[in-house]
Amino acid sequence: MSGRAELIDWVVPAEVRTLRRWLPAAAVVLAIAAVLEGLRYDGPRQIGLLCGLLLLAGCRACLAGDRRTWKRRLGATFAGVGTVIAAHLLVVGEKSLYDLWTLAWLALPSVLALYWLISPRVAAWASGSDDAAFIAECLSSNRRLGPLLSRAGTQVLLIHACAPVVIPLVWIADVAVSPGNVLGGAIGDAFTLDHFAAVLSSAAFGTWIGNSLVVSVGTTIVGLLLAIPAGYAFSRYRFAGRRASMFLFVLVQMFPGIIILLPYFMIMKTLGLLNTSIGLIIVYSVTALPLCVWMLKGFFDSIPREVEEAAAIEGCTQLEIFRHIILPLSLPAVAVTALFSFLTAWNEFLLALVFNTSNDQYTLPVGLASMIPATGQQWGDFAAASILVSIPVVILFIAFQRALVQGLSAGAVKG
Amino acid sequence: MLAGAALLAPVTQAAALTDEALRLTTDPAQNEYRRIHVEVQHRSGPDTRSYQIWFASQPFDRVADAELHSTLVIGDTEGLNRTAPAFDTQDCWTAGQPVHRTKDDIPVLAPDILEWSCSLSGVMPGVDQWIAVLPVDADGRGLSPLLPIRARTDVPDQRPPPPDTLPITLTLASIVLSAIVLLLYLRRRDILSGRAQTSRAYLYLAPALIGLTALTFYPVAYGVWLAFTDADQSQLGEENWIGLGNFATVLLSPGIVRVTLFTLVWTLVNVTAHVALGLLLAYTLTQPGIRGRTLYRTILLLPWAIPGYISVLAWNGMLQPDGLINAILGTATDFTATPLAARISVILVNIWLGIPFMMMVLSGALQAISTEMFEAAELDGISGWNQFAYLTLPNLKGTLVPVSLLGFIWTFNTFNTIYLMTRGNPYVGFGEPGATDTLVTYVFSVAFDYGRYGVAAAWSVAVFLLLLAFSYLYVKRSGVMEVAR
Repeated sequence: MSGRAELIDWVVPAEVRTLRRWLPAAAVVLAIAAVLEGLRYDGPRQIGLLCGLLLLAGCRACLAGDRRTWKRRLGATFAGVGTVIAAHLLVVGEKSLYDLWTLAWLALPSVLALYWLISPRVAAWASGSDDAAFIAECLSSNRRLGPLLSRAGTQVLLIHACAPVVIPLVWIADVAVSPGNVLGGAIGDAFTLDHFAAVLSSAAFGTWIGNSLVVSVGTTIVGLLLAIPAGYAFSRYRFAGRRASMFLFVLVQMFPGIIILLPYFMIMKTLGLLNTSIGLIIVYSVTALPLCVWMLKGFFDSIPREVEEAAAIEGCTQLEIFRHIILPLSLPAVAVTALFSFLTAWNEFLLALVFNTSNDQYTLPVGLASMIPATGQQWGDFAAASILVSIPVVILFIAFQRALVQGLSAGAVKG
Repeated sequence: MLAGAALLAPVTQAAALTDEALRLTTDPAQNEYRRIHVEVQHRSGPDTRSYQIWFASQPFDRVADAELHSTLVIGDTEGLNRTAPAFDTQDCWTAGQPVHRTKDDIPVLAPDILEWSCSLSGVMPGVDQWIAVLPVDADGRGLSPLLPIRARTDVPDQRPPPPDTLPITLTLASIVLSAIVLLLYLRRRDILSGRAQTSRAYLYLAPALIGLTALTFYPVAYGVWLAFTDADQSQLGEENWIGLGNFATVLLSPGIVRVTLFTLVWTLVNVTAHVALGLLLAYTLTQPGIRGRTLYRTILLLPWAIPGYISVLAWNGMLQPDGLINAILGTATDFTATPLAARISVILVNIWLGIPFMMMVLSGALQAISTEMFEAAELDGISGWNQFAYLTLPNLKGTLVPVSLLGFIWTFNTFNTIYLMTRGNPYVGFGEPGATDTLVTYVFSVAFDYGRYGVAAAWSVAVFLLLLAFSYLYVKRSGVMEVAR
């Protein structure tokens, strides 16, 4: 009977479950930190962190397998030594924010493990007790403590996931408002709007924005003009060659950019369309076309056919139906598709780099990249320009994220 | 006769010399493209060792305000040849013959020469230039005042003839025509089989389909054709068929194994990390009762929302010796200096960029899984990890397989991250891929840094076939797993 095995799982105190889950995570963090100490040539600290790593791993090993009191005692000892090492490093070591963070990953798990492993409940669990009073006590405390600990763990995980996003953003904002076109300097040590003024008043930045606007708006218009009828045809008609053409649209998405880049370049060169907006508009609208068609087809599919049939009985022509019924109903979808092709064109780098070699035809991506050459990098101006360019894009993206993700994953998953 | 010449010449200024006058004239009729023709009449004195020709865009009376164009040495022409120089900044003649030149192409005049002419190169067309000829003694001192004359060449810039657009136009037109014919044929077949109402579909589909064929399938075919030609930067539109030569170059190129291996490592590590971390975050975010869920989701979405090139350039700054990472660690390491560190850096940056897409797609799929199943599992006392492994993962498989294939293709084709972080550096050897080059960035540099279009096209075809093979293997393997289950 499997009842006993399940029972054993049921009566594990929430503290032990939490330690089982988080001690390995702490060990991984300490391993990374120890490697990074190698970069800082801080030998004693590296040894301290490595010892801590081994102790936490040992403590985790003591929580696996059979329940034994000696294992609990050994684990508590490991945790105690870990606490002592953490305290020692705190006293003698450096105390930058980073150092405190790595220390926290040694100190907090050690202290919690020590505290929990000497608590009566865990002691009872480790001694192998499964009498009714212990089980009842354990279950009731798990019901209280379990969700609390798992929520705290979730918050720790999410904060760590967000840190690599938030810290760079704060830093780049600081570079943008720090005097001098350089990196470095403490965060918040000085404030100037010079870089924003310089970027906004520079002729080059205006030209890049103008080029990007022309290309992106052009791409959106041309792309929609091609994609709306095609998406509608795929959604509403069952015609010979439908499956084959739909497959064709998927196949194109699979072509790697690199196989098409060079021929595009040669064709545009021959036709004299290098260094023009038209060349980029043509190429962008065609490369964004398959996904746009798939997105729109999905949206048109969701409009019931009965609406159209009713209108047809009323005597509307096909074009009238499309203009007065389908288009208004699918306007939000068309807007999302338009946003998608706009953003694709607005953010595209490689084709713009290859096609437009003269400074006055640069689009924003190529222009901003040209601010960071191998020498003479203008970091302050670049940071200011990046912030100005990103904010509208990010707001649009966040506002339409759900629809964009749905459309994209629909195309992707069906592809 | 001298007076007549002076009348004919448009601009003439003569200088009184220590011994005899130097007469400098220019003859617009003999100007060439970006060249001005000047004629000099002068009996050189005993101190004169050479002539210097100075020019500027304004009138000048000091050599400090002008630039030295060329120097003609006066000396013994015994044993020297009258040859045209290899690189002629000045094409000089005496008595209808080229002047003598030393081995270093320095023009030499015999002391008894009274008249000589030079065609001076490197002048902008349609812009006034002031030119003066200065006799100079052995110590480099001028023997006459500088009296520049005004001259200009009005021969316009010769633009290269426009390339022949006829073949491409014809090809594009025939593709468009055959697409139309195909659509008309399908439409007719539809009408014959009694599906008349669908005929309009072809009209709607035509623009997109024609655009796609003409601008995607044709370029791909053209690219494949280029792979068999000797096309390069210097000969566009005149490429010749050379068979499999480019493919031999590709296979024999140094570093091909290294760049292929790094591309595989790059792709596999990235996709694994994207899927694993994306799934972890998506799973965490869909757990019930998280405080600040919307805020977290929005923050975690930012690496996708911010334009990718901006993020990569910002990371480029963060990883520099005075960048953020070193500020945090209190070090001054250049993370892109050594091959290993540079490789780890570009991979980490690309992982950072790609997580949000996977997170969003997978959290969409997670929300679609019925929650009743988990409630039942909860009642049966199945732990969180087992729920994840035996309920969540199998239910996600329908999304995970295609999305990770898509991620594989995208990551394999990623260009921006590496180009904007390291440009493929650290350097390994000339013509070889750099330490962080993947196949895609290396093909780019073969095409646009080295200008070897044919070889680059052959690389593209090889890369495409490789990608196709991997995708096929992946689909087949995941299909096999499906059958086994």
